[in-house]
Amino acid sequence: MKYLIIVAFLFILFSLGQALFYMVKGKGKSQNTVRFLTVRIIASVVLFIFILLAMKMGWVVPHGTKMVPG
Amino acid sequence: MSEVKADQYFVPHQARWPIVGSVGLTTTVVGAAQLLNSETAMTPWMMYAGLLIMVIMMFGWFGEVIKESEEGLYNTDVDTSFRMGMIWFIFSEVMFFACFFGALFYARSLSVPWLGGEGTGLSTNTELWNGYEGVWPTNGPGELGGKFEILDPFHLPLINTMLLLTSSVTITIAHHAVRVNNRMQTIIWLAATVLLGAIFMYFQVAEYIEAYHLNLTLESGIYGSTFFLLTGFHGMHVTLGAIMIAIITIRVAKGHFKPENHFGFEAVAWYWHFVDVVWLGLFIFVYIL
Repeated sequence: MKYLIIVAFLFILFSLGQALFYMVKGKGKSQNTVRFLTVRIIASVVLFIFILLAMKMGWVVPHGTKMVPG
Repeated sequence: MSEVKADQYFVPHQARWPIVGSVGLTTTVVGAAQLLNSETAMTPWMMYAGLLIMVIMMFGWFGEVIKESEEGLYNTDVDTSFRMGMIWFIFSEVMFFACFFGALFYARSLSVPWLGGEGTGLSTNTELWNGYEGVWPTNGPGELGGKFEILDPFHLPLINTMLLLTSSVTITIAHHAVRVNNRMQTIIWLAATVLLGAIFMYFQVAEYIEAYHLNLTLESGIYGSTFFLLTGFHGMHVTLGAIMIAIITIRVAKGHFKPENHFGFEAVAWYWHFVDVVWLGLFIFVYIL
């Protein structure tokens, strides 16, 4: 399940990179920048909801809930 | 940028801002170095003075660039320069965060398990740090900073993730609005983005206060330092991004951007998305996985 989250995160990074590429290459005329940024935010929201579901179902256990022996 | 009409590449004469920027940067860095190295009670005023010069330089320089742009002094070659400048700026930002994420991954996946005896680190564990388990999160076998507790990811980090994701939705709506020349919609959604960014920063400060109550401090070994450096520098970027969006909002209100010519808007919008993705990475790798 961890790897699924990481792959989804890499896809988000890819969309962000594509948006940057078209911002530089498209010279403001291309619709692709806003299109890839829209894909990026939709994918992020979906991933966030999936993480919430994964934690609720116990597929992923966050490490930040236990006491650390110091 | 506004209309591009000139055939010549615009070169400003008597530009005074670069030297002001150099003086500001030097004053800031020398002030910060003195603050870090001095064992006596050194006041931070020199650093603050440097930062003030930097702020004056930014407002002055950027203001001039906006004015020149609106006067139509920039042609397509200048436009290309701005876009290339953005690429290099983003490259430096990516490398900056890559360093801190790299430090986190290295400590977490390699050096901490080695100290715990994994792989070839068996004798390190038995001879030097006997009994140390090497489980993340940790303040290391030296137990720097003493016993600490980790923040609950379901509380403030979760709220902050929702806030930043929502702010990216609002700026995307503004982006679509600027492309169809709907100025009022653009202003409303940009203002909403700035507001969400400000609320995020409020909760981030609240989170730090909570962390210190749990004895999770900058002194808490490797976890404390990576946690505060990553989230702290991210918070600084959110603050900067929110200021940039606020200025863009004022520019939109003045009618500065057009559907086919709005690089200033697009660059800031992309930067905000970048800051949001960095947070998503933090939420996943620092709090969850």
